[in-house]
Amino acid sequence: MTIEIEFISSNVLLKKESDEKIKYILDKVKKNKILVVEESMSALEESRLIEATMKQIKGKFSGIEISTLKDKGSEGIKQRLIRALGGNTGGLTVIGPSKIIRKVKKQPQSISLLAGE
Amino acid sequence: MPWRRLLGWFRRVFGKKKVIKLGLYGPPNAGKTTLANKISMDWTGEPVGRVSEIPHETREVQKKEQIIVRAAGKKLVMNLLDMPGIATKVDFEEFMQHGLTKEAAQQRAKEATKGVIEAIKWLERVDTALVVMDSTRDPYTQVNITIIGNLEAREIPIIIVANKLDLQDANPDAIKDAFPQHHVVEVSALTGKFVDELYGEIAKYAR
Repeated sequence: MTIEIEFISSNVLLKKESDEKIKYILDKVKKNKILVVEESMSALEESRLIEATMKQIKGKFSGIEISTLKDKGSEGIKQRLIRALGGNTGGLTVIGPSKIIRKVKKQPQSISLLAGE
Repeated sequence: MPWRRLLGWFRRVFGKKKVIKLGLYGPPNAGKTTLANKISMDWTGEPVGRVSEIPHETREVQKKEQIIVRAAGKKLVMNLLDMPGIATKVDFEEFMQHGLTKEAAQQRAKEATKGVIEAIKWLERVDTALVVMDSTRDPYTQVNITIIGNLEAREIPIIIVANKLDLQDANPDAIKDAFPQHHVVEVSALTGKFVDELYGEIAKYAR
């Protein structure tokens, strides 16, 4: 089987509003792509992504697997300020369809992922 | 948000006795309803909801209002809110593996997705949260991190409950290692082991 992995620069998402960003991600994930985004998501964005995912679960799409690496353990004032000013907070986000991602093992400094159909 | 703390302080000092909205959060099958039932049975003699081995048994927020808890020399009045489990996926085929028909599994999945959305919406309305985790599973998951991150962003007091201590492969230390910045209480909601300690922590930190 073939698995498509798309690496996305943070510049692509920086220009997008939160809802646009979520739509962009989910549209790609629903096409069975695994995304590696050069940016971490905030906890609030993650919960909005989960909400949006739940609204789209139907038929063969049963949801997502997501894992985020942040520069620091939690979202501090500095990160929020950088985000508000449109900057890149660093970190990494891996997102893909749950039908393809069998297992995600998250560590504070790394993410390992097992994919296959 | 500092205004939330300030508002809470004004309410405590000048307002009437506050009813604390205590939300039970966590992934599916962590034992939230078993714990909610234990708390409710201890203080009211009535359960909150039904438990099941099949994930997403709780698909709507279940409430038990005006529970009076006496612990650590305090009297707390709480509305207990047992939330649907938060997940990033809901697969009806998984429910069929538990013996449900395709139609029943699809219906359960549809209700479960609504339940997840409802639980997320409630994240900004609870006063204090118990984040319930299964001590036999890896606690360092994105769902647990997202729940805790959302509560932290809103400055809502968090007590992590390392549940299922009665199981042989329970490893509550893994939860303490994963979330060292939070209070972790080890319990077995099923047997009631250390639940009194949890009441003490709730009395200490709930606001």
